[in-house]
Amino acid sequence: MNAKTAVALMLALAGALTVPSARAQAPDRAKVLRTAADALGMVRWSDIGGANTRLPGIDIVNTMELVGSGTSDMGGRAVKTDYHVALGYNPAAMRVEMTRTPDGGAAQHTIQTVRDTFAWDESELGAGLVPGKGTATPMNAAAQDRLLQLWTLPYGVVKAAYFAGDKTVVSMEGGATVLTFPLSGPLAGVTVKATLDAKSLVTKVETRPDNAARANLATETTYSDYADRAEVLTDIQTPGHIVRKQGGRTVLDIQVKNWETNDPYLVFPVPSNVKSAATR
Amino acid sequence: MRFSSRIVATAAAACLVAAAVLAQEAQRGPRTVNAPPKPTGTTPRTADGHPDFTGVWNGLGDNLNGVPNQLANNGISIESETVARDIHSGQAVTVFPRNTNRPQNNEQAERAAALLRRSGSNRPIYKPEYWDMVKYNDHNANEEDPSNNCMPAGVPRGAIPSYIAQYPNYVFFVYPGQGGLIATQTMYRMIPTDGRKHTPLQELDGSYTGESIAHWDGDTLVVDSWGFNSNTWFDQIGGYMHGENMHVVEKFTRNGNTLTWTATVEDPDYLLEPWTTTPRVALLRPNAMLAESQPCSERDLAHIVTKEHH
Repeated sequence: MNAKTAVALMLALAGALTVPSARAQAPDRAKVLRTAADALGMVRWSDIGGANTRLPGIDIVNTMELVGSGTSDMGGRAVKTDYHVALGYNPAAMRVEMTRTPDGGAAQHTIQTVRDTFAWDESELGAGLVPGKGTATPMNAAAQDRLLQLWTLPYGVVKAAYFAGDKTVVSMEGGATVLTFPLSGPLAGVTVKATLDAKSLVTKVETRPDNAARANLATETTYSDYADRAEVLTDIQTPGHIVRKQGGRTVLDIQVKNWETNDPYLVFPVPSNVKSAATR
Repeated sequence: MRFSSRIVATAAAACLVAAAVLAQEAQRGPRTVNAPPKPTGTTPRTADGHPDFTGVWNGLGDNLNGVPNQLANNGISIESETVARDIHSGQAVTVFPRNTNRPQNNEQAERAAALLRRSGSNRPIYKPEYWDMVKYNDHNANEEDPSNNCMPAGVPRGAIPSYIAQYPNYVFFVYPGQGGLIATQTMYRMIPTDGRKHTPLQELDGSYTGESIAHWDGDTLVVDSWGFNSNTWFDQIGGYMHGENMHVVEKFTRNGNTLTWTATVEDPDYLLEPWTTTPRVALLRPNAMLAESQPCSERDLAHIVTKEHH
């Protein structure tokens, strides 16, 4: 073996050793997303009545309902808040019901709802759907802000990261796995950065809008204390503590008591006056 | 946990029955999609020129043939090992390979089944004052589901009859009683096709199957029913209660060896708008005989210790 051949062999050997090493350092997007979905309990397949069927697994999270309490921002003050959320991903919709009681003040009850590009406030549950039963006030300009709350929940993050496909980037920061991806539809232009913990559970979600005019879409939400909090157990892991910041200020700090994930009956029909307002 | 274990055991027994019905298909290898069966053969016709629906359709009704079909009934179509969608909304559903190194125990499989059967988006829209009640019904289905008290499934919950006999002036539908967890009493319907009109609603005593009349719309058999009692739910899952003013229109079409069924439910007292089921497809079993009805065993409701359900 002459010197030239020896060098070539050494280079080839070095290359062979280097490639697997480099691959090991680059997180596999599909594997990371699957692991995150599994960690949350989103992936299920059927082993019942399937003697002749071996269907793949699917994402079974659609509707969810959570109840909690804590504080929320009201004119710059953190006030006692009872928090009740109904949500769904097909269609993308969320109804946030809050009863906020300032120190020494009267309780204020609000219901803020969004479905796709429609947003409205309800004077009572399902207001505006039956004549004479409550008032639905169109708030379509708030649709993006409300949808962002839906898509920054842990399940929304995993779903949106899948929908983003090749645009989802997996990286490591400070030993933690990080997903970065763009949102789409009404939230196009917003980038999400989600941090996973060692169990692949979503612990922090940061959103960054593409321009200053959408500064309200710059948020940071942390999730902790995961457990199955449903009365009808589902093996779906849900956070027990949610802290949401907007523009650096804490706007929500909630301890979750119950989180039903058995795809409960939750519907979000859009009142006709809200549809009409959107076309004007 | 005593009753919880019994529920799982009963469910397993029901699934074994379904598995037995499908045993002959096992020779073809496992399905990896839940798409409805593709029609083959020609559509036979009766002497008066209408499609002939006479025959045994899936043997035990379309709802007992396992969670994969129930998933399709609920509107989730798994079209390949990488593609699934919600039929009602068209929205893509993310698909994952099965995790072969983590077999599910009975409890996990039951929980998965409960979730899978509810993940579709095609839901009736009730008036807001009933939203919490529907949610309560489904959440507490072990106690609240009329089927758990051996009541007839009713219409349209019975869905596709296991046996249809077609005569010049009427059709006859048979829904055998189902044992196991999805326990219902035997039900039959004799439905005239002779052009008669409905009895005025106020003159009818509400019943489980109501008063049905049928007519032909081209090759589609349209069955129009009213006059129900309010003791049933109108779909297999969901806690979908109704009132005595419910009106149901079922449509049956035959294509070769397949039968496609949909039902549209109107209930001005409970629903904001009419609701139509996701189409369900049953396969003709040319040489099958209708098995005897399975006895329905009432639930020991007082001793249920879990809200987990199918």
